[in-house]
Amino acid sequence: MRLSIFRYDPERDAKPYMQAFEVTLQPTDRMLLDVILRIKDEQDDSLTLRKSCWEGVCGSDAMNINGRNGLACVTPLQGLNQPVILRPLPAMPVIRDLVVDMTQFFEQYHSIRPYVLNDEAAPQKERLQSPEDRAKLDGLYECILCACCTTQCPSFWWNPERFVGPAGLLQAYRFIIDSRDTARRERLDDLNDAYRLFRCRTIMNCTEVCPRGLAPSRAIEKIRLMLAGRS
Amino acid sequence: MRMGVSGLPAWLVQRASAVYMLVFIVYLIAHFGFDPPDSFGSWRAWIAGPAVSLATGVFFCALLAHVWVGMRDVILDYVRPMAARPPALAVLAASLLILGAWLARILLRSQG
Repeated sequence: MRLSIFRYDPERDAKPYMQAFEVTLQPTDRMLLDVILRIKDEQDDSLTLRKSCWEGVCGSDAMNINGRNGLACVTPLQGLNQPVILRPLPAMPVIRDLVVDMTQFFEQYHSIRPYVLNDEAAPQKERLQSPEDRAKLDGLYECILCACCTTQCPSFWWNPERFVGPAGLLQAYRFIIDSRDTARRERLDDLNDAYRLFRCRTIMNCTEVCPRGLAPSRAIEKIRLMLAGRS
Repeated sequence: MRMGVSGLPAWLVQRASAVYMLVFIVYLIAHFGFDPPDSFGSWRAWIAGPAVSLATGVFFCALLAHVWVGMRDVILDYVRPMAARPPALAVLAASLLILGAWLARILLRSQG
């Protein structure tokens, strides 16, 4: 299998470059991450990437694979066009090779206050939730914050410092719709300006690339409809 | 940063204007498809009718509002220096106002 991988070590390289690799696949190689780690083990141990769980749960090996963001650990080798072109997530500062600085992504995520806000007296035990209200969180809470959606979004590319981005807005809706949260009005007010929510143009790259099969664009539309409904 | 319509109002204006324009264009296609005017005189008589004239005026208002929101978005995205944005928005607003005045003049003259 032929691969072309983005390389950049700011301490050594004047500018980034693409490096070609050729790997002989073994019967145990099923996913793209297997091949990348084979390169790292057998050809170039300086190749740098994040990885952890190997099963699409931690979200750390998100990268741009043949122009489309995805998780290397759950991307089957079968069907990949060659050479497989691997780049770091778009529009993020590169730390080294396939590792990007996620600071801005997590700043936007934290800006939506991703936790239940409740100013009522704390109950003796937990805050109960009906099965129907709990079901409203399905398709939202499963986000692993891999940033595949946000970094595939042109609106985020243009305004990363102001537009919350699909992952942050999916989580914003997750807490807006949570029956235990009492800050719905404040959360909606926080999103109602020209940038934080309404930079979204419904391009839907986010929903297209989400490795978990979630639909941030649908959550964004629901927030907009909630804003329209209350005005 | 808020400039003119922003956030929800802009989004609602864009969608409402798009729906109106879509309905009006479908009406135009149906009208000219099934009952096309046979002369310039009948075309003028049709456009001078109060209902058609009003609907056409609303169509162009919707078009100008739609263009304003869309182009404002483009300026916010692509005109990065903050100092350049007010002049760019002013040029856009002036252009749309001139176009609107020109359209109003044409529609009013069609009444006579």
